[in-house]
Amino acid sequence: MKQFGTILGFELKYYLKNKVFIGVTIFLVILIAGVMFFPRISSLFEKNETPDSEIPSDSSRAVMLIKEEDPAMADMVRQAFSASFMNYDVRITDSDVDAIRDEITIGAADCAFVLRGLTDFTYYVNNLSMYDMNAATASETLRQLNQMNAMIGSGISPEDAASLMNLEIKSEVESLGKDQMQNFFYTYIMIFALYMVILLYGQMVATNVATEKSSRAMEVLITSAKPTSMMFGKVIASCLAGLLQLVAVFGSALLFYNLNKPYWGGNMIIGSIFNIPAGLLLYMLLFFILGFLMYAFMFGAVGSTASKLEDINTSVMPITMLFIIAFIVVIMSMTTGNVDTPLMKACSFIPFTSPMSMFTRIAMSTVPWYEIALSIAILIGSTVAVGVLAAKIYRVGVLMYGTTPKIGNILKAVFQSKNPSTGS
Amino acid sequence: MNLELRNIEKSFGDKKVLTGVSFRAEGGKAFGLLGRNGAGKTTSIRILMDVFPADGGEVLVDGHPIDYGKIGIGYLPEERGLYPKKIIIDQLTYFAQLKGMERRDAVRSIDHWLERLGMTEYRGKRLDTLSKGNQQKIQLITALAHDPDIVILDEPFSGLDPVNAMLLKDVVKEQIGKGKIVLFSSHQMSYIEEFCDSIAILNKGVVALHGDLRDIKRDYPRDRLVVRSLTPDAIRKDFGSSCSESEDGSLMIRLSDPAEKKAVMTRLAENYDIDEVKVFEPSLNDIFVEYAGDAPKEE
Repeated sequence: MKQFGTILGFELKYYLKNKVFIGVTIFLVILIAGVMFFPRISSLFEKNETPDSEIPSDSSRAVMLIKEEDPAMADMVRQAFSASFMNYDVRITDSDVDAIRDEITIGAADCAFVLRGLTDFTYYVNNLSMYDMNAATASETLRQLNQMNAMIGSGISPEDAASLMNLEIKSEVESLGKDQMQNFFYTYIMIFALYMVILLYGQMVATNVATEKSSRAMEVLITSAKPTSMMFGKVIASCLAGLLQLVAVFGSALLFYNLNKPYWGGNMIIGSIFNIPAGLLLYMLLFFILGFLMYAFMFGAVGSTASKLEDINTSVMPITMLFIIAFIVVIMSMTTGNVDTPLMKACSFIPFTSPMSMFTRIAMSTVPWYEIALSIAILIGSTVAVGVLAAKIYRVGVLMYGTTPKIGNILKAVFQSKNPSTGS
Repeated sequence: MNLELRNIEKSFGDKKVLTGVSFRAEGGKAFGLLGRNGAGKTTSIRILMDVFPADGGEVLVDGHPIDYGKIGIGYLPEERGLYPKKIIIDQLTYFAQLKGMERRDAVRSIDHWLERLGMTEYRGKRLDTLSKGNQQKIQLITALAHDPDIVILDEPFSGLDPVNAMLLKDVVKEQIGKGKIVLFSSHQMSYIEEFCDSIAILNKGVVALHGDLRDIKRDYPRDRLVVRSLTPDAIRKDFGSSCSESEDGSLMIRLSDPAEKKAVMTRLAENYDIDEVKVFEPSLNDIFVEYAGDAPKEE
């Protein structure tokens, strides 16, 4: 136990003194500070430069040209389009189509609608952006114009027609279980953090073990300390370092958010991210620790079998693939909105995938307590089993130099040395 | 104190590595574990250090199974290496703590050793800034800082310049003087011959020869005389085919019976100008080649 403490302390110091570790943590905290302070800072600038105008002045607005053959309609269309396209300076033009095309190409106008009556138009724009909704907006505007005209034609006064068209519906939604609109973003962020941290630190554990092996520091270590102490000390130290980093990053995010809360106002997404229930945070912590340990043990064991640092990347490939598949399954089901598919249910009991899939189900759906308990029990049991097996592989692996041995041979060696017939 | 390996058996997979390996090392004396590459030396050492268990046999200290909690072992592995990127005092303290020392005691002991080996100036430096010989000395500290009862040195002299080799010899003699069990493994026979009172030669996982080095030498048939003379040609003519010339210019006379020794010596002294006549004793090198060669010698 004392040995374990010594190893834990030494390894933890390695992370905390590591310049890359410190640098990345500070960088992330600054980045988050930047994001969280952004509305406050940008509001400062807005106040100074454009005191009280929400809509940009005419000169700075984009120019939209409208060509309507019927002059009687032209003014009505311009009014309707001006109301629909607040950000555009909407102008009526008499030019022919070729001239309009030229104006757009040289940049004198940004876009143009050439109308043939109120039911047919062509939209001209220089580069069609992926997010350009103007054609759809124009269709909707024209549809409303047609409806207005029809209503007025059948004897309804223009005022009544307008109020009918703009009738407001009040609505409320109450979710009795989980609200995916609320929890999607924070679940996504937490799953992604879990994914990044496990993959990064897993690689670090593997590299750490392989470095000790290739530098032959192992020769002294293995004769000084028990492989179980070595393995658990290393892995738990990296887990603590990872947790510390997460706490630093998320803690500063929470702090900076609360400092700037008024400036974020009603931003739904940001608001929902920081509205994580405390119970869920505890589940996050539990699944993070167990999932981290499980994978770090595997990475450590694989690291011990590599003879050269260059071999590490290929050696850890199967574990990385397994983990990425688990991640993809979870993300896919999250985006479809149904996290209780049979696949997800199965995954939430398989120890390699359960840290992410069971956590997602808890966060985004309603899971019976016994399923959670069973999943956690399986995960704890298999994490301990993987840890012990990893320590055994480690003991055999670190003394095997030369070519990277096959996994079968290692397991054979592990189980062979498991039944010692010696008294000592 | 004595250390005994008794009937150690070990296989890796289908490959038998050690077969009934037994030897005994005494405290206050150095013991040489010899053998060619792959003979099973490192495996024996690892079993002795409990890196992995033997398939059969026992490791005994003073006749009782070894208690690794009480008996400290210091090990200088043949494959040298520590953490290249870490500060020397940090890693030395770490290794000493792993061996069970308290931090403060560890630092004190390490400082003592750094000074003893003339390495104090490198205390706060990274290991990879040191020369190979100096890295070796740092590695030696990991084997000695926790004041172990058993010191295992695998090829301790390789890579050391003559001055450092002298320093190491002094340290080894000091350790032996403290009554510790010092176990050497080396291919440099001259050092083994200088330090070790008893040896074991391993050949393909079997102990081919084990015992006190002087006894081993004495047990060799004393049927050869080494002769140094200013008139070797005359002697060669006189003794004919029983006389041969060695590489160093001395003559070797093979006796048909060891009892002839006195008569032959008298004959040489009376008839020729003789500088030196002595009974030939094989060097450890000769013994090693004989026992560790391809065919294990049956006695």
